Amino acid sequence: MTTALETIEKRTNSSWENLRTARRVSAEQRREVTTALEGYATADASIVVVGSMAREEFTVGSDIDWTLLLDGMSRPQDEQLARDIRRRLDELKKKQPGPEGVFGTFVSSHDLIHRIGGESDTNANTTRRILLLLESVAIGRGDALERVMRNILYRYLEEDRGLWFGSSQSKVPRFLFNDVARYWRTMAVDFAYKQRTRPAGGFLLRNTKLRMSRKLLFLAGMLTCFDCHTRFADGSERRSFYKGKPVEAVIERIGEILSKPPLEIVASALVEYDFMDLSIKKLFTAYDDFVGMFADENLSEKGKTKRKHLDDLPVEEIEGDLIAGEAREISHRFRDAISELFLTSQTELGKLTIEYGIF
Amino acid sequence: MRKIGFSSGAIAYGDFMSALDTLRSSQFPCIELSALRISELQPLISALPLIDVSNYSYVSIHAPSSFSREEECWIAETLYLGVPANWPIVIHPDAIFDFSCWSRFGRRLAIENMDRRKPVGRTASELQDIFNLLPEASLCFDVGHARQCDASMTEAFVILSRFAERLVQIHISEVNSASQHDPISHGAKLAFQQIAAMIPNRIPVIIESRVNASSIIAEAINATEALSSQSTI
Repeated sequence: MTTALETIEKRTNSSWENLRTARRVSAEQRREVTTALEGYATADASIVVVGSMAREEFTVGSDIDWTLLLDGMSRPQDEQLARDIRRRLDELKKKQPGPEGVFGTFVSSHDLIHRIGGESDTNANTTRRILLLLESVAIGRGDALERVMRNILYRYLEEDRGLWFGSSQSKVPRFLFNDVARYWRTMAVDFAYKQRTRPAGGFLLRNTKLRMSRKLLFLAGMLTCFDCHTRFADGSERRSFYKGKPVEAVIERIGEILSKPPLEIVASALVEYDFMDLSIKKLFTAYDDFVGMFADENLSEKGKTKRKHLDDLPVEEIEGDLIAGEAREISHRFRDAISELFLTSQTELGKLTIEYGIF
Repeated sequence: MRKIGFSSGAIAYGDFMSALDTLRSSQFPCIELSALRISELQPLISALPLIDVSNYSYVSIHAPSSFSREEECWIAETLYLGVPANWPIVIHPDAIFDFSCWSRFGRRLAIENMDRRKPVGRTASELQDIFNLLPEASLCFDVGHARQCDASMTEAFVILSRFAERLVQIHISEVNSASQHDPISHGAKLAFQQIAAMIPNRIPVIIESRVNASSIIAEAINATEALSSQSTI
């Protein structure tokens, strides 16, 4: 089946070879890991991967951000199971998050579902929850992941009084949208925080990711929420659908959208806007260049890939650095394309962005 | 008003005669006669001409939940010939080896959605695979199984939306983590109420909660409340 991204690629006479390669590499990596971890996932425990593998943007240097998601009885063996997953991935020489981090360990569904907002919704909990929704795939059995996603969505939707009973004609789930927007802003704030706490390096790599893949994630989340409004032919069809509070129907629809990687979510939302093809092409070409930059295995005179160069470059040496300039130029094209496509009152998506995205 | 009744297996395990005796005074309009274990099938079929179920407006049969490939066609034949044609026969899809043994039942055969231990028949898409092989079969929707698979009740919604035309009977109970049928809890009741409006009042509801005689009426009230909604279907 042709994807929306492929349709747009063909229509705009583009060639996003880097994205195609990344999709292929992601699938290969996923297959390898799935085979290695066969028998580790159960109906009550999913091995969930977020990050570049889930976004289908895996490149050399990418790590595997995994979580053992538990949605059932707690068992003393759970921790051992998580350690065994880590050991198995180590044997495959896969880059993994540290054992004390947000990922690379086991997590119970309880906090993800019940702790949304308030003091107990920690930064780690928010990160896990939003990434689970916006960019996650199961390695092996995905029963627990699917259940938990639906239960999280149930919380956001069932409790959204404005969605069901509000006077606005717009049907955008604000509770969900606000949490997605909050997470995007949290990432931006944490970027500044890390600049202070990790002065040794990584600034430019983090900055580039923030401007590209993190921003893409927010965009995909925003468009998923907007789909709750835009998918209908007219207001009458929309009003009829929302009559009677069909929470489960909306969960089903959102779950279907979120089963796609973020780039495809964005492409699906934009595929009908052929009159904006110049900007659409600009957006995906910039992203293709970004992925290509991270995938480039050629070594510089200093023996580094571009990704490694960005990771190591001290802040004071950014100005005048060619690779830093290339990364900045790509991110500016991406930013400009997003502005052209979404900060306009000429389209439904633009109107919703202005109405919901800012205030 | 819901048409409610019990599964004989919930009241007296494999002893359907005892279950009929126990339930007689309660005057429920529906009953499911259960032969979940293969050894219960022949005694049940043999007794059918002799037992009095005239006070029930709806009777169904639950086929054995597990049998061998060699036993399958004999079981199908026994049910086909021994069960009155207007009684639905509920079957677990994971028990079936050879779908050709069951195709002649048409709508009489009610495929039950499964709990999450089972490898098939749990979701709408897995049920679709079964209905592709048994295109005329109907659906016995086990709302407890559906909740065990997805507590948000989205899968229940999808199953009921997609197979509304096939729906012939409901199974209701709390399904615990060991997939046993317990009395309906308050939490289950809240979940079932989410999709209750999708179940027309005319569809018979069979309670599978394992209860003793003194709790039968209370569980029937529980089931009625769990499926209460402003159903206008």
